[in-house]
Amino acid sequence: MKRSIHRWLIISLALLAGLGGHAQEIGFTAAVDRNTIATGEYVKLSVNLTNSKEGFEAPSFGGLVAVQGPFENSSFNYVNGRMSSSVGRTWVLTATAPGKYTIGPAKVRVGGGIIQTEPIVIEVTKGPARPSDPGAEQGQSRDPNLFASISLSKTKAYVGEQVVATYLLYSRYANIELSKYELPKMDGFWAEEIDLGDTNWEDQLQTVNGLQYRVAVLKRQVLFPQRSGKLRIAPVELSCIVNRSFFNRGSAVSTRSNAVEVTAMALPGNAPADFNGAVGELGMVVKADRTDVKANEAIELTITYAGRGNLKLMAGPTLDFPSDLEAYDPKVTDKISVNASGMNGSRSFQYLVIPRHEGEFPLEPITFSYFDTRIGSYKTIQADPMTIRVSPGDGGPVSAIQRPTKSDVEVLGKDIRYIRTGDLHLRPSGDRLFGSLSWFAGMGAPALAFVVFLGWRRKRENDLSDVAGSRRKQADRVARKRLSEAEQALRSSDRGAFYDALGKALHGYLADKFSLGHAQMTDAIVRERFSAFANGEVVANAFLNLRTACDMARFAPVEDRPKQQIYDEAVALIGRIEQLVRA
Amino acid sequence: MKHRILAFALALAPILSVFGLSRVEADSSIARGTAAYAAGDHVAALNLFDTVCAEYTSPSLLYNIGNCHFKLNDIPHAILFYERALRLAPGDEDVKANLELARQNVVDRVNELPSFTLGSTWGRLRGGRDADQWARRSLWESLLFFALLAVGVLAKQRTLRRAVFGASGLVLVATLISVAFASFRHGEVTDDSAAIILDPKVDVRSEPRESTTVLFVLHKGTKVIVLQTENGWSEVQLANGSVGWAPPTTLERI
Repeated sequence: MKRSIHRWLIISLALLAGLGGHAQEIGFTAAVDRNTIATGEYVKLSVNLTNSKEGFEAPSFGGLVAVQGPFENSSFNYVNGRMSSSVGRTWVLTATAPGKYTIGPAKVRVGGGIIQTEPIVIEVTKGPARPSDPGAEQGQSRDPNLFASISLSKTKAYVGEQVVATYLLYSRYANIELSKYELPKMDGFWAEEIDLGDTNWEDQLQTVNGLQYRVAVLKRQVLFPQRSGKLRIAPVELSCIVNRSFFNRGSAVSTRSNAVEVTAMALPGNAPADFNGAVGELGMVVKADRTDVKANEAIELTITYAGRGNLKLMAGPTLDFPSDLEAYDPKVTDKISVNASGMNGSRSFQYLVIPRHEGEFPLEPITFSYFDTRIGSYKTIQADPMTIRVSPGDGGPVSAIQRPTKSDVEVLGKDIRYIRTGDLHLRPSGDRLFGSLSWFAGMGAPALAFVVFLGWRRKRENDLSDVAGSRRKQADRVARKRLSEAEQALRSSDRGAFYDALGKALHGYLADKFSLGHAQMTDAIVRERFSAFANGEVVANAFLNLRTACDMARFAPVEDRPKQQIYDEAVALIGRIEQLVRA
Repeated sequence: MKHRILAFALALAPILSVFGLSRVEADSSIARGTAAYAAGDHVAALNLFDTVCAEYTSPSLLYNIGNCHFKLNDIPHAILFYERALRLAPGDEDVKANLELARQNVVDRVNELPSFTLGSTWGRLRGGRDADQWARRSLWESLLFFALLAVGVLAKQRTLRRAVFGASGLVLVATLISVAFASFRHGEVTDDSAAIILDPKVDVRSEPRESTTVLFVLHKGTKVIVLQTENGWSEVQLANGSVGWAPPTTLERI
């Protein structure tokens, strides 16, 4: 084991010694293609190491920016027994601000020592305002054999109107290989790639500035400006390796295209309410597969937008289906092709609508508004109104009795209830019945009335219970009435009536006064009653005398006194009795 | 009371003729206000209703004013007027529904103590659309009571008399109940302890002056109970029992 290691060492040393004798001197250089550039221009830095296989350390760029690289290349020659090799790296650098930049030394460690290159000073002057936009069709390129360009189908477009951008590469090299290219970021655009197919290089040659170029379409895009204003498309950067062959590693060439600008015009402000951003040359077709259905059968409602425009950005229509129609989210079908002429085709929204109840459901006419780029104004298409007639659904053989499914009344919105109209039953503010004077009066009045009622009733009852008293009270009045009758009879010389009335007056008066019945009006009782009074005897005699006189005159034509005298006596007597009883 | 007001109004008529509003004018203002509301001109409707409200009141009028405020998106005032309407007519379904909707816009969620929740039937019975209904009822019942007593006194038959007196006893009880309710309602209607926060945001402090500790923050539309006032500051109590002082003119009593 130990022997074999020794043998390896010996062979290696011998080989090294032999090679070393033939080895060339090690070279290490750094070079730039120019020392003065303007901002935005490029400088190519190459670092080459010959006759060494060591890896070297890249230099610092001292503030310059590497836009491309490093591209590595290496070569190995064996000529007449002499061997030479070289490895190199290339960067493309640029600067954004003017000034002096120093590219630092590159270092390599060879045989215990360090070799380093000389620093390089790059002077950057202020370039033109937009160095990448020289205005010419030709892009910024030092190499007249290769340039790129962006061309637009139009430079003025409405927001949402499609613009086709074509990225072209012009080359005079026989052999070109695109190693890297970077498409600019689309700021302010929505971009859609156009599928170019397999063939990249166009057949025809094109002559630019007297030179013939082969033209390659790198890419085509349909651009839709998303906002108004000047929208800039930054240059496309690309690097190629040209003239590569079996023997040649080729050389790297980089270029960048011109920058282009699209003036995007804002859409007019008078957009219809249902406008949702469709721009182009469009149309709409609304189709329902049937309009007469049975309940719970599906209807397919298809709305197709077709034409040229930003079809892929189009949202479905907002449809207000009656709430008894169940509508599902639409199925979107695209038949959109994107080609050199832009985006064409159609986008369909297929709604599945299922009526749940029978009846007639008029659908609101579906409208579609878009901005027509041909005439530069909004256009609204209205589909024909459509009515869905739903007949009762099949009962079905299984469930013979089909109850209509009850559904809750859908609450679609919330709002306060409406105001009260008509008579609001206004009352003056602050006017309250309770506790007011009128309330107390109202509460007290019935009580007062009741008390009065009770008082009246008590009095009346007392009166009713005292019959004799009332008779006595009445006596005078009754007597007077009879006396006036008698007086009338006296005047008319009706003798019978006179004595009759007078007799009754006296008789009745006394009966009432003493609460006596007619049968009790005997002389004895009358005398007895009068005896209770002072001077009663005299009055009793006078009364009885007068009564007798009346009776006598009534039944016999005997008159001891004239009628007038008897009448006066009767009146005087009643007055005396009145006085007597009261005293 | 009515007569006194009338006499007063008549005496001041020459001076107040600009402000005075006859019943006919009030009715015409309400008709115009209703038309304006129907046409969607809520500002005009509110002005017309407000002029009437200065002198007249009714639950329906307050309710309409609340609706106008709601439509103008002045939720605190809407709540204020709905509460006023509800105080005059407890249990009114329309007012309750709109108040409920208006309260959804209130930021503060204070755990309200369960109020009288015996339902709107009880509310209608208690208050109805007329704050004076119990007072009026008590008047009729007192009249009926004495009338029955009189009939009983007059009645000759013993059984009839007993029946009438029994009925009058029941009416007396009813009268007393009515008076009690009327008194209760009177207290309720004249109670102005509740208030609605009108300012968007109110710092409720520990003492009735500025730059004292902020206890809590209230937002517009919240209902509070005013316990007392001092220097324009109001000591308010929330439904959950918290108490603090709210600055002047940040709330309005219902």
